[in-house]
Amino acid sequence: MSRGKAGFWWYLLPGALAFTAIIAVPFGANLYLSLTKWSGVGDPRWIGLDNYSRLLQDDVFWTSFRNTAAMVIAMVVVPTLIGLVLSATLFDVIGRRFGPKTASFLRATFYLPQVLPVVVAGILWGWLLRPDGAVNAIAKAIGLGEHDWLGDPKTALPMVMLVMIWVQIGYPVVIFMAALQRVDPDLYEAAEIDGAGWFRRFQAITLPQIRPETFVVTLTCTIAALKVFGPIWALTRGGPNNATTVPSYFAYNAFFNKLQVGYGAAVATALTLVIVAVSIGFLKVQGRVEE
Amino acid sequence: MRSPRTMISMGAAIVSLALVLAGCNSGGDDAGSDGGGEKGGTLKLWHYESANGAMGKAWDQAIEVFKAEHPGVTVEFERKAFEQIQQNASMILGSDQAPDLMEYNKGNATAGLLSSKGLLTDLSDEVASRGWDKALSPSLQTTARYDEKGVMGSGNWFGIPNYGEYVTVYYNKALFKQHGVAVPKTLDELTAAMDTFVAKKVTPLGMSGAEYPAGQLYYQLALSKADRSFVDNYQLYKGAVDFKADPLKYGADTFRQWVDKGYISKQSASLKAEDMGTAFIAGKTPMIVSGSWWYGRFASEIKKFEWGTFLFPGNKLNAGSSGNLWVVPEQSKNKKLAYDFIDITMRPEIQTIMANNGGVPVKADLSKVTDPKNKELIANFDAITKADGLAFYPDWPVPGYYDVLVAGGQSLINGSKTPDQVLTDLGKAYDQGVQEIKNG
Amino acid sequence: MSRKDPDRFRQGKARWVVLALVGLTAALVLVPFVIMLMNAFKSPADYSSNGPLAWPESFQLDGLKTYWQQVHFEGKLLNSIVISGSVAVLGVVLSLLNAYALGIGRVRGRMWIVALFLMANMIPQEALVYPLYSMAKSFGLYNSQLSVIIIFTVIQSAFGTYLLASVLGTFPKALLEAAALDGASRWTTLWRVVVPTVRPTLSVLLIFFFIWTWNEFFIPLVMLIDNSTQTVPLALASLQGDRLMDATTTNAGALISLLPTVVFFLIFQRTLTRGVTVGAVK
Repeated sequence: MSRGKAGFWWYLLPGALAFTAIIAVPFGANLYLSLTKWSGVGDPRWIGLDNYSRLLQDDVFWTSFRNTAAMVIAMVVVPTLIGLVLSATLFDVIGRRFGPKTASFLRATFYLPQVLPVVVAGILWGWLLRPDGAVNAIAKAIGLGEHDWLGDPKTALPMVMLVMIWVQIGYPVVIFMAALQRVDPDLYEAAEIDGAGWFRRFQAITLPQIRPETFVVTLTCTIAALKVFGPIWALTRGGPNNATTVPSYFAYNAFFNKLQVGYGAAVATALTLVIVAVSIGFLKVQGRVEE
Repeated sequence: MRSPRTMISMGAAIVSLALVLAGCNSGGDDAGSDGGGEKGGTLKLWHYESANGAMGKAWDQAIEVFKAEHPGVTVEFERKAFEQIQQNASMILGSDQAPDLMEYNKGNATAGLLSSKGLLTDLSDEVASRGWDKALSPSLQTTARYDEKGVMGSGNWFGIPNYGEYVTVYYNKALFKQHGVAVPKTLDELTAAMDTFVAKKVTPLGMSGAEYPAGQLYYQLALSKADRSFVDNYQLYKGAVDFKADPLKYGADTFRQWVDKGYISKQSASLKAEDMGTAFIAGKTPMIVSGSWWYGRFASEIKKFEWGTFLFPGNKLNAGSSGNLWVVPEQSKNKKLAYDFIDITMRPEIQTIMANNGGVPVKADLSKVTDPKNKELIANFDAITKADGLAFYPDWPVPGYYDVLVAGGQSLINGSKTPDQVLTDLGKAYDQGVQEIKNG
Repeated sequence: MSRKDPDRFRQGKARWVVLALVGLTAALVLVPFVIMLMNAFKSPADYSSNGPLAWPESFQLDGLKTYWQQVHFEGKLLNSIVISGSVAVLGVVLSLLNAYALGIGRVRGRMWIVALFLMANMIPQEALVYPLYSMAKSFGLYNSQLSVIIIFTVIQSAFGTYLLASVLGTFPKALLEAAALDGASRWTTLWRVVVPTVRPTLSVLLIFFFIWTWNEFFIPLVMLIDNSTQTVPLALASLQGDRLMDATTTNAGALISLLPTVVFFLIFQRTLTRGVTVGAVK
């Protein structure tokens, strides 16, 4: 571009202003609050790094991060893999052989859990996972035996993971299906003529072509997994016995139930730093791959 | 399809619409519903009771009475989501968007906290001049008055309750008759009754581990061995509380025993209170230990069998307290109108409406109550308050203690921790919390 | 030498197997929704006596009617549409501007800038709430829809900037050079060359922003106090009391709340299938 890059900075101005007002300033305030003791009313009291040292010794804090690893599996790894396969199947096989309307209908079906308010999802899954619910009815029928899925610390987290997979599948499917439309059909035709089968084409053409979207999906799902709050709140409130607690819920509890805003702010800051570190790692990899 | 220009104009239109709507909605103090509030003023009134519940119906009538007695005043009533008030009360009351009068939760962590930060109006003068203190027994006044630190029991008046609540035992008369069980009058008789049910392969006690019922049962059991000084220590921080000694140790141990003996299902750890309630309505559960707040719903939804209530056998102290309070935010713009409304809600005719719809009013005229089960419910409550038997709720002393109790209850039900371990957890959280409160 | 047909899905039964498998998965995904439908049309007594998983004894519309009237749903619907619609449009525009500079302009340090914008998505909302409340109060925007619109525009455009910047990063230079040769300014290039090409991505963003904002609960709970400003998710929350909850009305309300978003998604799905591919280079 002959005009040089300077003019492009103007385009960033509105975004920068909005970001400063809505994100940067409040985050700064949050940082300040994390160094104080405050109940939400009245004046905060300065206590320096006390909240942070308390955080490092808090077992529940570390448990919440361990549970986050489970959330990453349930919200990133599994949905992305399933999403890739499903979207390719819907786009290629079903879209072409049965018509775009069928593919669209199925896509909408998979996306539906994303549209459902999370509180309602919690109620519905609560009914399914109840001791006298549908899951136990099926488990009894196939000989697995009844179980208190959400009440047993050992099975609560896997069940929450299952629900999260259900919720997340639709998002990669929609993004990947849009991405697949960007791929030049000529590339596929050329490969078919050369004798490449479906899987070979998927591997050699589809995957590299939708790489930007793959990065976006994995990064945003990872951030969402690290930040997840709603489903935990709706399904188990972090229990039983902190078996399913996550940092966001831990922070929320401190903010609004225990009225320890300073401590909650410290948890939120710690969580943000982790997310930032993970994201920067991701973006670096993406940048290198894009060169 | 749509050119960028069209998209931008669409966007601009939406944004303009948004700004206009926002302009109409922000500020909000001049938003009288028909604009006729100039002469007499406006009463902005919020509560979160359901429309077909006892309080909802009584307060609807109170609004009508208020309108009749205050012509020219516009009443802006909004039914709120409990969640919103619970979470954001301090934010709302600290702004100029606060209402003139609202319902709010009683207890140190809620009304106490806000009163100590100056967000609630001190009602003491009004109480004296209108005689509200004569209508409320000393037991009920505990949750209406808070000191400068926000601890209930003494100090200025910050809220006025219209109703009360307490924990009792609901029982399925049909199941009792079927298995030949009589209404127990002592704790021993209760255990014997539950043994009978277990022998007939029926789980006697419905339970919910994921919400408040487990904690309330544990507390009721503890109260069976407690006296008023324990309650004062536990709730008002008057003295130290030993979690490894009775009555709390008795509460946890007995709860675990009841699970082991099959009185409580081991699979109730993940059940919500709603699940426990609906199981009772469906006729599957002989008994549940829970609060008077269920009464109205049971009365309207249970049609297939006879049911009743009896006080937790043998207890002189029972979980319970005054109901939620009417509070007047410090930022209220029409305090006098708010006081008038509160006064109306305390009148006999309003209290009677509450009584006849399954509620427990503070000052009921039992002769006007038509349904005998209603009467019994209210009479039991009156008996408790007269004997100063209200012990409040186990999660009150420390903010956030509710989650700790739920975790403890679940551990007692699913066996993942011993009662001793649970008591340690409960004690630690309690001590830490009280420490924070005392150090301000 | 006969060549084995490389695409065995072109004919034969395999495609039916695939359809069946995908269909079965879809059916499993729908199970909770079937339960929601069942309970939306149940009477409260039926639900309490027979449990949530039983087929309704009779189909009642009472729950839906009660819910609609009790929460003044028309008002909530309008609020949600206005807020979500504004955020969707403004968010896409903001993302586009940012991504144009980052993806095509390739300004220096763009990876760091993207990361910075993404911070809006990385910070848990609880951390922002108290400061945002204070700021909104001082600007007189507390309890107004504008505060919510501004906040979510920023938060959603973080994702939009990232996605669009990634996509624009692989934008075919040929198109840009062609436009430059025609003497187009940066602004004209943006609207006449870039936007039409990435319309599928813009549509995706529009749909996502609308739906995500529609279902947002936490920040509206904090910012929107008067019932007249509140959105659909908040109306749903009003059914959950301190200790009691109204299950059948909640399901009916959930059904009603769900329909607008589903309709929106179905309408805009078509624009996804009508997208223009990058193959327009020819």
